[in-house]
Amino acid sequence: MRIESNLKWHILLILALFISLMPIVFAVSTSFKELSEAYSNVLGIIPDKPTLSNYLRIFQELPLNKITFNTLVVAATVTIFKVITSVMAAYAFVYFDFKGKNLLYFILISTIFIPFTMTMIPNYLIISQIGLRNNIMGVILPQLSDATGIFLIRQAMRSIPMPLIEAARLEAAGNFQIMANIVLPLVKPAVISTGIMFFINSWNEYVWPVLILKDTTNYTLPLALQLFVSSEGGTDFCLAMAVSVVTMIIPLGLYLIFQKYIINTFTSSGVKG
Amino acid sequence: MKKKFGNKDVWIAYGLILPALLVFAIFMFYPFFYTVYLSFFDWNMIKPVKEFIGLANYKALFADPLMPLVIKNTVEYILILLVLNCVAPYVLAFVLSFVIKRGRGFYKGAFFLPSVISLVVGSILYLWVLNPVSGPAAILAEFLGINIPIWSKTQGLVIVVLSIITTWKIFGYNFIVIFGGVSGVPQEIIEAAKIDNVPLYKIFFDIVLPMSSATGVYIFIMTIVQGLQYVFTPVKVVTQGGPDNASSNIIYNIYQEGFVFYHTGYASAMSIVAMVLFIVLLVIEFRYVEKGIYYEN
Amino acid sequence: MKKNILKAVAVGLMSAVLLTGCGKSDTGNEQAGQGEKVKIEYWHVNAETQGGKTVQELVDNFNAQSKDVEVVARYNPDMYKGLMQNLQAEAAAGKSPAVVQVGWAFLDYFSNNFSYVPPQKVVDDYFPQDKAFLQDNFLPNVMDLAKNNKGEQVGIPYSLSTPVLYINKDLLRQAGLDENGPKTWEDLIKFSDTIKEKTGKYGFYMQEPADNWAQQALLESNGARMISDGKASFASEDGIKAYQAYADMVTKTKSALHISWDQGVQSFVNGDVGMLYTTIAQRANVQKGAKFDVAAISSPAWAGKPKRLPAGGCFLAITAQDEKQQKAAWEFLKYLYSVESMAAWTKGTGYVPPRKDVADAENGLKSFLEENQMMKAATSQMDSVVPWASFPGDAGLQAEQMLLDARDKILSGDVSAHDALTQTQNQINALLK
Repeated sequence: MRIESNLKWHILLILALFISLMPIVFAVSTSFKELSEAYSNVLGIIPDKPTLSNYLRIFQELPLNKITFNTLVVAATVTIFKVITSVMAAYAFVYFDFKGKNLLYFILISTIFIPFTMTMIPNYLIISQIGLRNNIMGVILPQLSDATGIFLIRQAMRSIPMPLIEAARLEAAGNFQIMANIVLPLVKPAVISTGIMFFINSWNEYVWPVLILKDTTNYTLPLALQLFVSSEGGTDFCLAMAVSVVTMIIPLGLYLIFQKYIINTFTSSGVKG
Repeated sequence: MKKKFGNKDVWIAYGLILPALLVFAIFMFYPFFYTVYLSFFDWNMIKPVKEFIGLANYKALFADPLMPLVIKNTVEYILILLVLNCVAPYVLAFVLSFVIKRGRGFYKGAFFLPSVISLVVGSILYLWVLNPVSGPAAILAEFLGINIPIWSKTQGLVIVVLSIITTWKIFGYNFIVIFGGVSGVPQEIIEAAKIDNVPLYKIFFDIVLPMSSATGVYIFIMTIVQGLQYVFTPVKVVTQGGPDNASSNIIYNIYQEGFVFYHTGYASAMSIVAMVLFIVLLVIEFRYVEKGIYYEN
Repeated sequence: MKKNILKAVAVGLMSAVLLTGCGKSDTGNEQAGQGEKVKIEYWHVNAETQGGKTVQELVDNFNAQSKDVEVVARYNPDMYKGLMQNLQAEAAAGKSPAVVQVGWAFLDYFSNNFSYVPPQKVVDDYFPQDKAFLQDNFLPNVMDLAKNNKGEQVGIPYSLSTPVLYINKDLLRQAGLDENGPKTWEDLIKFSDTIKEKTGKYGFYMQEPADNWAQQALLESNGARMISDGKASFASEDGIKAYQAYADMVTKTKSALHISWDQGVQSFVNGDVGMLYTTIAQRANVQKGAKFDVAAISSPAWAGKPKRLPAGGCFLAITAQDEKQQKAAWEFLKYLYSVESMAAWTKGTGYVPPRKDVADAENGLKSFLEENQMMKAATSQMDSVVPWASFPGDAGLQAEQMLLDARDKILSGDVSAHDALTQTQNQINALLK
């Protein structure tokens, strides 16, 4: 009886998984089809006449190499900056006491609740006035103000037993030493996975870059996708799928490599009741 | 508990927070106040002179016949998102923690996967897959004798589908976090309850739910706040708020007023109102999550 | 260790970014020094699948042969509406490109809100030898398309499209219908219902983009007018009748599809819809994807009434602000309007050339048209072309949106054409005051 009911759950789960992963499978499969086959052989996962022409075309027609590089630069810069500042700020919030600490923390965390539509217009005007429109820096800068990193790393630091820190203090260790030798190693998993998530989110960012970037050579990958979705001339789905696959590969790759870290961090970042 | 390290250390603390604070000041706080400022003007982003009109934008907001529909849609989105991304992950986490023995790692990994994919890509994928006339889903449904309704033009249904697309992306993350909270419930308690023949659903409601409530509330709030922001992308890509505003919510409406019609002042006023709603949620979060939890310290 | 490597790479990348990022300021309308080329921006809406490649080819060829001018092309997503939005955002930042594509529906909004210079003025001021260029090469009714309601020549027509009817001949035959398709809207309705009856597939789909182009053709061909004397006037008896007849196909006989544009075209190309009413600019996409016997015929007319087909596409306007940029803009424009460039443009997009004599020229489209029958559907109805209605004043953007909302209301069956159109007309006129 136990086995039977468990099987029922497993079947349900597999079905749910199937539904959620199918679009990805379709995307990959369509990207290797000719347009006419995409329309006539909609359900076929393995194309009858597989072709690399879609990939060749998108790399020929667009500076896709440069675009991928742009995306990489943006995501990496945002990640590095946010990780470093989040670690620093979280450390200050956890291990120091100063006037207004809780208020300041509250204010910073509350920014997570500000809908991006509120800051969109002024940020656009600011970036324009500095002259950073159509420039990668213009895309990077506003993305840096994100409090989720401080939140997550603070959670992780607060799980470190205080006695450890106190013992180090008793041995007259300075702040920097404590940070480097005790705290950082213990929160390393959290930092890594937070970093990975920052990277992936920045990589996939669409709303802000589409406002700022004008030149196709400055584009990031999610923007490149819309170049192939044109209502006027018709969407060439095979090309769009090929671009989608290119956009998906790096986040997916990173995820598969660092999967354990990511899952573990978010599993334990949740607040323990 | 927390030791004071003397006044000089306070400056170190400030120094550590400064870089983050600086960025926030420029790209978060200043725009926030500037938006408040803009909400009292009539402007279209180009005209050199902004016309001061006091509370007129706010008055217009409350008189706007579109607002009730937009707010109703927002509520619908929130409810559907909560069911799909708060309730469902909870149940799933429970099943994975205490009902199923094998394959946990695999399931965790697989469900989280779509979360790392761009929502723009996801929207385009679903546009293709869910084409009610000629997409893969439609063809499969035909085998079963069902006709998929034209969801992109159907009130109500369009919100459901757009929520599903958003769910595809955020389910994984929510699930993993809730799983953390749920699996924190000590196994012994669960085993004891099972031995006592307590039915599964009772275990869920009376034991697991209360003991993981802090996580639950966190995800609840995040689903509402971030869910609404994520939904923006599918709405923009797939329906642009249509048909006849049936899929527009308050976030999308702010975007439309601000960046499609260029009613800058009006959009700013709407942002403030949306913000107030979110603040209420924030207060709840702080009360429950920050205070009612147990840390090692 | 992983983290250290990552850090090192990151520091390297960051410095690279900082170096390039800080050095490069907002590129675009920089003044060139002596001996250097004047750089100008050309804004377009052509995605890769719709002429984007051709834009780049034209720009590259121009740059190669020009001694003084370098053109940088910028793509704007979301078609002409998106370009208008971007233009507005650009102006908010105090800048402006040199040459832009302006969708017809935005003619008046554009001329009211943005700073531009009529092309003839640039010609008269700096290029007297080209004085007669526009007059000689363009038909008056075509040039009129780019005149705003003050009679000013705002720009030069560039991309011209008209709605055509793509037909699935296999489905028509299967339903026992004339495989050459219907000539009138009345016949089209009968055809559509028959296809649904006999084959179970949808008979008809009319495009539903974020504009009302096709619906204007439907209404105005029946005698209605979108705008009269600066006021919205589409809710006339003729207009309501036409819209309701179409709506009935969707809601009563259910033989017409009501769905988003992308999905609708997909469904036709998949063979699930018998007839598709959309722009000739989709020709390449339809031809490539369809695995059935597909053809394109001229737009149907209402029995006994003259066709009125709004011109789709865009015109080119000069938004350059200073003399150097304006002169450079004209040089580029002359190149774009050469016979060869016009021919390339048509081949790459499916748009009809606005300039006389391109269709028949040997170095133009003569052989192309002979091979490509579908284009004939569009080129043969150029005499029915009328301006795409553009609502005047600041409310132009919002008025368009209201018409879109009305379309959804009517096609969902919730509101009758009469009620929706009348209500919308009143709302728009209230805005226009």
